[in-house]
Amino acid sequence: MAKIILRHLIETPVRYQEEFEARGLEDCRLDHALYALPGPTTVDLGKAREAQAPPVDSAAETPPQEGKSRFQILVDVVQFLPEDIIIQTFEGWLLIKAQHGTRMDEHGFISRSFTRQYKLPDGIETKDLSAILCHDGILVVEVKDPVGTK
Amino acid sequence: MSGRSVPHAHPATAEYEFANPSRLGEQRFGEGLLPEEILTPTLYHGYYVRPRATRAGEGSRAGASELRLSEGKFQAFLDVSHFTPDEVTVRTVDNLLEVSARHPQRLDRHGFVSREFCRTYVLPADVDPWRVRAALSHDGILNLEAPRGGRHLDTEVNEVYISLLSAPPDPEEEEEVARVEP
Repeated sequence: MAKIILRHLIETPVRYQEEFEARGLEDCRLDHALYALPGPTTVDLGKAREAQAPPVDSAAETPPQEGKSRFQILVDVVQFLPEDIIIQTFEGWLLIKAQHGTRMDEHGFISRSFTRQYKLPDGIETKDLSAILCHDGILVVEVKDPVGTK
Repeated sequence: MSGRSVPHAHPATAEYEFANPSRLGEQRFGEGLLPEEILTPTLYHGYYVRPRATRAGEGSRAGASELRLSEGKFQAFLDVSHFTPDEVTVRTVDNLLEVSARHPQRLDRHGFVSREFCRTYVLPADVDPWRVRAALSHDGILNLEAPRGGRHLDTEVNEVYISLLSAPPDPEEEEEVARVEP
């Protein structure tokens, strides 16, 4: 049998190309944040640098505390397809519904559905919310453009 | 799953090669997550995925299914620990064993949630569906079992007789006959 060489994406970084060039590949190898998916807990390095860049009258201001008081919801929907998921708001409540019909798996057939309800903070409407479905099955619903990050 | 872009899990064991693992884990669905429960991404078939930290104890194995097909017994374990005994129904439809469960909205540590699922096992041909027994343990594991071999599986051979049909009458011949006759 011919030898098969598997090359992983670690060897071909794209997202933070400048970062790798500046710091050197070997140095970046153990920095997991560089390889992380763009998700709720990862800081976008580009944005972070932009935020740091204008240090004009920064002494007086403290950077806005991100992620602490912000409304954000994570749901594990790894079993569902994007079209199976419905996100609704209703009278100050956020509803996340997901349902998939009967499908085959290794032990037979399975169908699932669930509904989750969260109380929205006061004054938050549908237009303030954004949702991301990451390819590893994590659904993130959060408030768009929190004040001060723009 | 149709439209699946990631090939199936680790092809390291025969079970995965033939896609008949006796245990099915990772069957939880609709779980709320906290940002700190998402672990460092790992590489899975060239894609980065983020494993989730699951707490031991309540609900961590929910939905997991284990199938044991031995010589004399069909046995399946299904974790229904999200549901109370009266929310779970087990029935057989022909040779299908259906376990369905639903619970109305209730409060958990992330908020309000209601869930529903239906898992269907296909009983082997020598299992009598009437002899399926179900028992629910205190920790929410449903044990379904049925004896095997109760039915005879001898092949019944029935030779089907082929009847020969007569050929349809030829229209030309008929015409000739009609011309000759008068």
